[in-house]
Amino acid sequence: MEPTWEPKILAFLCNWCSYAGADLAGTSRIQYSPNIRVIRVPCSGRINPLFILKALQNGIDGVLVSGCHPGDCHYLTGNYIGRRKSATLKRFLEYLGVEEGRVQFSWVSAAEGGKFSQVVDEVTRDIKKLGPPKHFAKQMRVQGV
Amino acid sequence: MVQKKLREKAKELLSKKEVDLIIGFGEGSQPLRATPVFVRTPEEADRLVWNSFCENNLATYLHKFNRFKVGIVVKGCDARSVTALALEKRFKPEQIVLIGIPCQRMIDRKKLKKAVKGEIVKVREEGDKIIVSAEDGEVVLRRDDFLYPLCKACTHRNPVQETLLVGDRVEEAALTGPNPEAREFEKKSPEERWAFFEKETDRCIRCYACREACPMCYCTECFVDSSNPKWIEKSLSPSDLQFYHIVRAYHQTGRCTNCGACERACPMDIRLTYLTQKLNQEVEELFQFETGVDPGALPPLSTYKADDPQEFIK
Amino acid sequence: MKFEPLKLNKNEFQSFLKELAKDHDLFAPVRLAEGVSVYRRIDSTDEIDLDAFNPQKPLKELFFPQSEAMLRFEKVENRHRVTSADQIKKPRVVLGARACDIQAVSILDDVFLGKEYTDVYFLKKRQSTTLIAFACNSPLSTCFCASTGGGPFDRKGSDLFFIDLGESYLVEPLTDKGKALTQSTLFVKASQHDIAFASELEKKAVQKTDASLPMEGIEKKLDQLMESRFWDRVHEKCIGCGVCTFLCPTCHCFDIVDEAVNEQGQRVRNWDTCLSSLYSLETSGHNPRPSGRERTRQRVMHKFNYFPKNFKKIACVGCGRCIIYCPVNFDIRQVIQDAQKGEVSKNP
Repeated sequence: MEPTWEPKILAFLCNWCSYAGADLAGTSRIQYSPNIRVIRVPCSGRINPLFILKALQNGIDGVLVSGCHPGDCHYLTGNYIGRRKSATLKRFLEYLGVEEGRVQFSWVSAAEGGKFSQVVDEVTRDIKKLGPPKHFAKQMRVQGV
Repeated sequence: MVQKKLREKAKELLSKKEVDLIIGFGEGSQPLRATPVFVRTPEEADRLVWNSFCENNLATYLHKFNRFKVGIVVKGCDARSVTALALEKRFKPEQIVLIGIPCQRMIDRKKLKKAVKGEIVKVREEGDKIIVSAEDGEVVLRRDDFLYPLCKACTHRNPVQETLLVGDRVEEAALTGPNPEAREFEKKSPEERWAFFEKETDRCIRCYACREACPMCYCTECFVDSSNPKWIEKSLSPSDLQFYHIVRAYHQTGRCTNCGACERACPMDIRLTYLTQKLNQEVEELFQFETGVDPGALPPLSTYKADDPQEFIK
Repeated sequence: MKFEPLKLNKNEFQSFLKELAKDHDLFAPVRLAEGVSVYRRIDSTDEIDLDAFNPQKPLKELFFPQSEAMLRFEKVENRHRVTSADQIKKPRVVLGARACDIQAVSILDDVFLGKEYTDVYFLKKRQSTTLIAFACNSPLSTCFCASTGGGPFDRKGSDLFFIDLGESYLVEPLTDKGKALTQSTLFVKASQHDIAFASELEKKAVQKTDASLPMEGIEKKLDQLMESRFWDRVHEKCIGCGVCTFLCPTCHCFDIVDEAVNEQGQRVRNWDTCLSSLYSLETSGHNPRPSGRERTRQRVMHKFNYFPKNFKKIACVGCGRCIIYCPVNFDIRQVIQDAQKGEVSKNP
């Protein structure tokens, strides 16, 4: 039987809400797709768009950025700034030709273990449908003339 | 004539010592070119010219002269760059005297070169015509056919902020949203769009002319030179070329004034403005912001509204 | 001339190339976009852009590529395997090179094929390449090769010299290497008329090129200007990009870096530009060339003073690319003229 392709998804989770929410999903023993690798950041506003690009360049199949709900940011306004950055980056990447759904965003609070697992399942499903990225990943050989 | 008035104004400013120097345009060493000049005495003011080849954004020089009182010749787009730079505290606003010239829109010299057989030895503008002398003799062309695409779509030909205005104000085109070319492009599939992006960036030689010509690129350490973290390598690998252009454009979000200096500087004729144009459009649609128009408006990525769009967030 | 000039009809040119392609890798200007071309290896003869007057990226690319992997390394089990750079498998032929670019490669020979040190990467490419030059019938107003010891029909350094006569090419074999490529029956003996016509074309072209740039004594003059305030005004408009250095056929600065990810990587040599503020930045933070003034001065001095001191020739071939492609129309000819006078002219 042919194994189906399992995407590798990088999840940037803000420490105070989304990471805690993911933690809750774990302690509540909720099953969800095992495809994410988590990177804990202090705030979704800390995300440098270069992180997302670097991930895609290094062979990551999809990226999820998750933060606190608007109004609940531990640093008060970080997620508002993050929201603006996310909006502009997402539209720009799609304009360039990166498939819609390869980079996704969510608000998950510390109490939303259930939502977290749902989001991960959805994102994994979306990326599986898209397939591995065909472009942008870096090849290690320098092209000759 | 604008050029005459410009020189008079410059002489006045310099003789009254209201500025230490004036950054403007002078005669280029070839037809179809004008070149930046730095004028310090009233006599030198006669070097200043004004024509449709004054295509550079001179605001990029303000970083070099931020300890002086500087007069600077600006078109509509350049004036907005100066406002954006003042917002980013690159200099004190009172240091700059903006000599604003309502722009007749610049001629795309590369397009002009391609339209004529042989080398162009002389060019003359007469109203809405361009008269070009080349290998096959004189050719008369319509000026409108050879404007830079961004100039054609410009809605800020009159400098929005200016200390001094040289020349008469021109009528602004109405804001019509994304230009037809951009609209057509967005209809293409992601595959086609990426193929276009890849094809354009493949010929990049990492000369950074785009970065240096841009007034908004002034970081003492550019992300390409960062070694910790190292974002991209210096070699010509397609992936890194793509990364460079994505990020350079993205770093202009809410800061770019569509002046086109990047694309004009590129020796490999890469269509760079199709990237920055999209970001300017986005910022307009999402946050109702246009660079350099309101000197009090905060840059869009350093502020927020409680009801910013978020339909894309799960 | 050792060998008799030959003639090749233009409609036989493709056949000639196809013959060459059997035993050689062909390199020629390839169009990347309208008005933009570079020298590349061609797989099919349709790829050649013969309309390209002088490609943006100069001939040095074929001997000193912008990015070159010098060696590759990877961890295999517990040992490290190092493999050398790509080997040259077939002899190479370059078509469409201009006299200025060829003169530039000879200048690069002084740098890379020195007495004390020989750069094996450059050497291997140089040894395996035959240069087919194309004469310039219509030099541009920015061509000043005649002022730098060259000319539009300068044959120095080329193996085979093609002159466009309209319907055919006059072909002059200049070396044994060049002669070896003309064994095909496609070549016929050139007539006296062809030779005379080519001579006419040469005269016209030479007249068009700028030989007026005052190069005499420039080295000494620049010695005197080293500490002068002259440079304060010269450097002002330079924005410090790398266009002139990358497109210059003689510029040869490079940076070597190791690129590695996990257990594999490569050592790469990339072109570098002395006009970058980082070029001479030291780890301590000190920068001996802290501003555009020092860097612009350095570029001019290197080409017209330091290099002549070391190698008895100026490191400029008058191709004019720096003048055409500079975003701010910095003109090296103007700098030379001003340097000879000792001051920046107020009304250039």
